[in-house]
Amino acid sequence: MDPMKILHSLAENLLTPIPMCFALGIFCKLIHGGIKIPKELYYSISIFLLMSIGFVGGHELAKEVKDHGISTVWLPALATLFLGCFTPISAYVILRRLGGLSVADSAGIAAHYGSTSAVTYAVADVFANQSGHAPNSFLPTLVTILECPGIAIALAMGAVFSKVKHDAKQSETLLPPDDGHSHTKEEGQLGEALYEVLTGQSIMLMAGLLVIGFVSTFIMSEKGFHPFFDFFYSKGMIFRGALCIFLLEMGLVAGERLGDLKKVGIFLVAFGILVPIFHGFLGAYLGHLAGLNLGGCTVFAAIVSSASYIAAPPAVRLTLPEANPTLSITSALAITFPFNIAFGIPIYYQMAKMIGAT
Amino acid sequence: MQLYPLKQVTIVTEKILQDQLLPKLKELGAGGYTVSDCSGDGERGLRSGVGYGSNIQIIIICPEEVAHKILTHVSRNFFENYSCIAWIADVQVMRGARYVKKP
Repeated sequence: MDPMKILHSLAENLLTPIPMCFALGIFCKLIHGGIKIPKELYYSISIFLLMSIGFVGGHELAKEVKDHGISTVWLPALATLFLGCFTPISAYVILRRLGGLSVADSAGIAAHYGSTSAVTYAVADVFANQSGHAPNSFLPTLVTILECPGIAIALAMGAVFSKVKHDAKQSETLLPPDDGHSHTKEEGQLGEALYEVLTGQSIMLMAGLLVIGFVSTFIMSEKGFHPFFDFFYSKGMIFRGALCIFLLEMGLVAGERLGDLKKVGIFLVAFGILVPIFHGFLGAYLGHLAGLNLGGCTVFAAIVSSASYIAAPPAVRLTLPEANPTLSITSALAITFPFNIAFGIPIYYQMAKMIGAT
Repeated sequence: MQLYPLKQVTIVTEKILQDQLLPKLKELGAGGYTVSDCSGDGERGLRSGVGYGSNIQIIIICPEEVAHKILTHVSRNFFENYSCIAWIADVQVMRGARYVKKP
C-alpha cells in the first residue's frame, strides 16, 4: 500500500471542519481562551444527534428489510454481538497481564472499550459519506447492539474477580466471613448498573427513535413521512453543523483532561491508541466477512474500536467504585476519541480497502 | 422570636450517588433536604464537565442524632472510593418541629 496515499487520506480527514472544531476546542483550553458552550446547548445537541441517528437508521433499516428481508442484516448483527463480547475481554486481558493494572481498574477501563461512542459513529459516518462510500443503512442498529454487552461483561468480570480475590484474602487472614450481605449487594449493584445503561439516555433515544423510524416507514405514506425525515436528516446539514458544535465542546473537555495524561502513564497512552487499532482491524475484517460495504466496514471498525464515555462511566462508578475513574475517562476521552477522530477513521478506511471491501 | 438549635449536615459528593443517597437520608430520619448541582476542585481533581464528573451538594437540617447517623452512613459507604466530603454545623431555626421527622 502506498504510504503517500495514507498520508494524503489522513491530511484530507484532518483538514475537515469536524476534526478541526475538536482541535479548536483543545487549543482554546490550552491557551485559556474564552469559548464556552452552555450545558443546555450541549445536552440539546446530543439529544438531536441521538434522535437523528436513531430515526434515520430506523427508516433506512425499514427500506433494507422491505427490499432484502433480514438476510443482509443478521450476519453483521451477529458479528456485532460477538465483538461486543470479545472486545471487553481482550481489553481486560491486555490491561491486567501486560499493564499490571488492578482487577477493578482493568475491568473499569475494559467496560469503556467494550462499549461504543455514538459520536465516533457520527463522525465516521460523515467521513464515509464524504469519501463517496455511503455505509450500509443499518449501521445505527449495530451501534445500539454494541452499546450494552461490553459494559455488562466487563462489570461482571470485575465483580467476579474482585470477589475471588476478596474471598482468598479473607481465608488467608482467617477473618470471619461476611454474613453474605456484601455479595448480594454486589449482585444488586451489577443489575442496577445494567439497568442504568439500558435505560440511559443514549440507548433510550437511539433505540426508541430507531423503532419509531422503522415502524412509521412501514405505516405512513411517503408524503406524510417526509417532513419528519427532512427534519432529522436535513440532507445531513443540521446534523453536521450540530456535530461541529458538539465536537468543539468535546475538545474543550478533552483539553481539560490533557493534564491527566501524566497521571495515567505511558502504558495507558499506548493502550488507548494500539487497542483501538487492533479492535478496529477486527471490526473491519469481520464486517467484511459479514458482507458490509467499504463505508460500512470503515464505520463498523470505528464503532468497535471506540470507547464509551457517556454510558460506561456512571455504570462503572456504581459497580466498581474502587476503579479509578481518571484512568478510564482520560484514556477514552483524551486519547482514544481524539486518535479515532484524527487518524483512526482514515486508517480503518484504508484497512477495509486492503481487506477487499468495496 | 423563638429559635431552636438544630444541626445542618452538608454533603458534597458525586452526582451518580444521588439516586441511592436521597432515599437513604429519609430512612435515617431526615425530614427533608435540598439538593443543588455544583462543581469544584479537591483531592480527587477537578470535578466539573458535562454528565460525568459533576457534583451535588445536599443540605439537611435535622436533630443531632440524625445528623450523626447520616455522617456515619456517608463516611462508611462513600469516603473510601468516591469524591465525598461532609460536615455538621450548628444552626438556629424557626419552626423547629418542621425538621423532626414524625414517626
